[in-house]
Amino acid sequence: MSLSTVNERPGQMNSGNALELRGITKMFGALAAIADVTISVRPGERRAVLGSNGAGKTTLFNCITGDFPATSGIIRFFGEDVTAFPPYERIRRGLRRTYQISSLFAGLTVIDNVYLACRGVSRNRYSLLRPRSDDALVHAAEMLVEAVHLTAVKDRLVGELAYGQQRQLEIALAMSGAPRFILFDEPAAGLSPTERRDLVTILTSLPAHIGYIVIEHDMDVALRVVESVTMMHNGRVFKEGKPSEIEDDPEVQELYLGGGHG
Amino acid sequence: MSLADQAPPRASRGATKTAGPTSWIERIPAAWWAAALVLLAMPLVANNFWLFQVMGWTFILGMIAVSLTFLAGYGGMVSLLQMSIAGLAGYMVAILGPSGTTSISLGLSWWIVLPAAFLIAAIFATLSGALAVRTEGIYTIMITLAIAAAFFYFTRQNYTIFNGYSGFNLVLPPRLFGVDWRDPVAFYYLCLGCAALCYGAVVYVSRSPFGLALQGVRDNPRRMAALGFNVTAHRVAAHAFASIFASMGGILLVWQNAQIAPGTIGISSAIDVLVVAVVGGMRRPLGAFVGAFIYVILQTFSPDVLGAFGFSAERFKLIIGIGFLAVVLFSPDGVMGLWDRWRARAARRVDPLTGQPR
Amino acid sequence: MEKFAKNHPLWTLVIALLVAGFLWLVFAPWPPELEAAVGRKRIFLNALLGGITLGALYFLVASGFTLIFGLMRTVNLAHGSLFLLGGYIGYEVATQSGSWLLAFPVVFVVVGFLGLVMQRFIFSHMEGEELRQTLVSIGLSIVLADLMLWFWGGQSYTTLAPALLRGPVELPIISSINPTSGEAIYIRYPSVRIWILVAAIVIGLAMWLVLNRTSLGMVIRAGVDDREMLAASGVRIKLVFLAVFVFGAGLAGMAGIIGGTFQSLSPGEDTRFLLASLVVVIVGGMGSIAGAAIGAIIIGVTEQMGLVYAPTYSVVFTFLIMAAVLAFRPQGLLGAGR
Repeated sequence: MSLSTVNERPGQMNSGNALELRGITKMFGALAAIADVTISVRPGERRAVLGSNGAGKTTLFNCITGDFPATSGIIRFFGEDVTAFPPYERIRRGLRRTYQISSLFAGLTVIDNVYLACRGVSRNRYSLLRPRSDDALVHAAEMLVEAVHLTAVKDRLVGELAYGQQRQLEIALAMSGAPRFILFDEPAAGLSPTERRDLVTILTSLPAHIGYIVIEHDMDVALRVVESVTMMHNGRVFKEGKPSEIEDDPEVQELYLGGGHG
Repeated sequence: MSLADQAPPRASRGATKTAGPTSWIERIPAAWWAAALVLLAMPLVANNFWLFQVMGWTFILGMIAVSLTFLAGYGGMVSLLQMSIAGLAGYMVAILGPSGTTSISLGLSWWIVLPAAFLIAAIFATLSGALAVRTEGIYTIMITLAIAAAFFYFTRQNYTIFNGYSGFNLVLPPRLFGVDWRDPVAFYYLCLGCAALCYGAVVYVSRSPFGLALQGVRDNPRRMAALGFNVTAHRVAAHAFASIFASMGGILLVWQNAQIAPGTIGISSAIDVLVVAVVGGMRRPLGAFVGAFIYVILQTFSPDVLGAFGFSAERFKLIIGIGFLAVVLFSPDGVMGLWDRWRARAARRVDPLTGQPR
Repeated sequence: MEKFAKNHPLWTLVIALLVAGFLWLVFAPWPPELEAAVGRKRIFLNALLGGITLGALYFLVASGFTLIFGLMRTVNLAHGSLFLLGGYIGYEVATQSGSWLLAFPVVFVVVGFLGLVMQRFIFSHMEGEELRQTLVSIGLSIVLADLMLWFWGGQSYTTLAPALLRGPVELPIISSINPTSGEAIYIRYPSVRIWILVAAIVIGLAMWLVLNRTSLGMVIRAGVDDREMLAASGVRIKLVFLAVFVFGAGLAGMAGIIGGTFQSLSPGEDTRFLLASLVVVIVGGMGSIAGAAIGAIIIGVTEQMGLVYAPTYSVVFTFLIMAAVLAFRPQGLLGAGR
């Protein structure tokens, strides 16, 4: 009715971007962890956010998901202004993230962890009835466990898993439901070379409509799975461009690549 | 928070596992059949005092404690409000239904009184739960203790609704199906049935989406929010859900004593529920009933034992306190934890292939 | 303060008006209409002064509780037992020796020593296990309560204040105007209560000075704000914990003597003062001495006013204040954000 036309969400029409950040600033006390960050990412676009430690990358993720709300700025997710939304509302709209330090449910089994993730973005979250074995979500959870190669340990408690397996589970949680955009926070950290190759396969074989931002220190991983790069320095966006441009940029090399590897 | 570290029940192992070829009846271990048989056959051998006082009180206390076990074990929230919720449900039965205090009691029919008692207790639990979950972890104990105390003092001072110090007496169960439910045998089976229902419900729900989500909230609230769950709403809902068990216990408690007064819901009763749940062990719902049995046995028989040694019967509290301290200091997961460890050790002594002792 | 006034002109006005109205209620003689509506001014003043004195007592108990909680995250639910034990021991010392003042150092040492034993031999072994510590403190409170019941029985004791502190003093606050002579009648109030208030203020200021002006205080404040920093800075943290626990326990014990003098001691007072401490600390904010002071005054005055003007619901008022604080400012009035 007329109410809905009046209440038209302003961001809905003005951009075709999956994620749009305008002037995001996050203060911790007097310290600005990130300042005036403006980034737009198209649907299906895959981007890396690079920068040294303390550049504000993880804080940026926390602002996007609402784990820590931004001090100022606007966040639009597929056109909708989600700046004031609690995290769970953003997640229900198709945003996902992984954590740098695995953030799992140690007291539950692998399959239950994934099942919870599927349940979180579906209806009947408060159901008191146990899922039947032919439940669609149970099936979806098993598929996801399969996709990250964890079927063999699906009934083990997560606390008992090896580190690499926990990282894989972390990714499975982020792929639950119908994600439209995923934030990967250092997915390769602590993985062996083989596991890194697995990771690249998992990322590149994601359905094309799912875009993501990945924070990664391993340039070999990062530049192979993205089509654009945002460099951050001291909480600000420092440079944007294609992976090849960024790699060749002398300023970037001096600031990040050179320093990091030297 | 560290609350979660304290009591992580692992009942959920394989919760969403697809069912095997065996039916659920076949998967119940023999020990359970034996326990069920003993409990069902008890009226054949036990006297009325044992049935009505000891076992009745055990089941009732166990139901109130299992509501705490549900909140603390699965939700990581240690609430001292469960006795108040039980008491409120009991009070509602006395106020809305018939009692000896005819000036206050409305004398309504049981089929209005019972749902209303559950509902009002659930509303109270929801509101106080909403206050308690404003803060996290260890604060919950303090806030719920303060609310429990406020409710206790309120019932003691309020005469228009709660009849102050004297409370209500002659609160009797309805005579349904021609059975006098205060008859010891009937009351025993009533309590047994309700307790089994509560226990079964907790075990069942622990593996439902809601129960799993609650355990997720206990383990990692921030990640739960990042999976699309409303953490606060789940916590409040857990308080509301747990109130059902407490209310059931509270209503049976009023019927057993045929009266309710502020003393029933005093601070020490609130703490007793915590003592029972902790002594039994909060990792598993069964712990609540085991703890209740130990507590009731101590309470019932320690005066005689104490008297034999020339002590006053009041030293019972000292025994409870020291026993509780011993459990917390030496076996934080309670008697059930001791049992589990003993079983694990026994299993290690048995050869896994032949089943023979090594 | 200036900043607050600039940012919230309306609130500043409201607060100023409330303060002015309150001061008028206290100092001006009441017109007959007002006395007809709410009762004699003497009753109001007595409730107010009684509330402030009670608040002073609550502060003495709660400040130790809040410090222990703020620094160690230990919710010591045996704190009320320390209060009652201090009261009983103080009674014994005062009646045996005839010296009320002697009771204070004795109780501080005895109850402080009990606190030392609790912290050194029990709580320090389960650092970081908040729930377990709390459960242990519940167990201790059950045991202590029964031991005290064993030794002192169920009757109530009142410690006699020394002659010097007995009897009333006249305060420079007008109670009423004598209608025939036109003379102002001043409020008379038991002097022992005035001294309790003075003592609480002195102890509160001393604590504030220690916390804000000494290096030990700096360590404690840093510990309340940021526990990791404390552990990292290499301070001998165990010793600081022990000192704070002993001081908090000793203070609770001394408060017991005061409670036994101006009220009475009996089984159940331990729970009462534990609950008062909980509510005071929830309202004022965990770990904050100033918060404990404000919370104590609010709760004390509310309780006494409630008792005088709405005895049936006095508990409810206290509770409503707590609920309101939790709903709108869960960290407490002066508590730091979590």
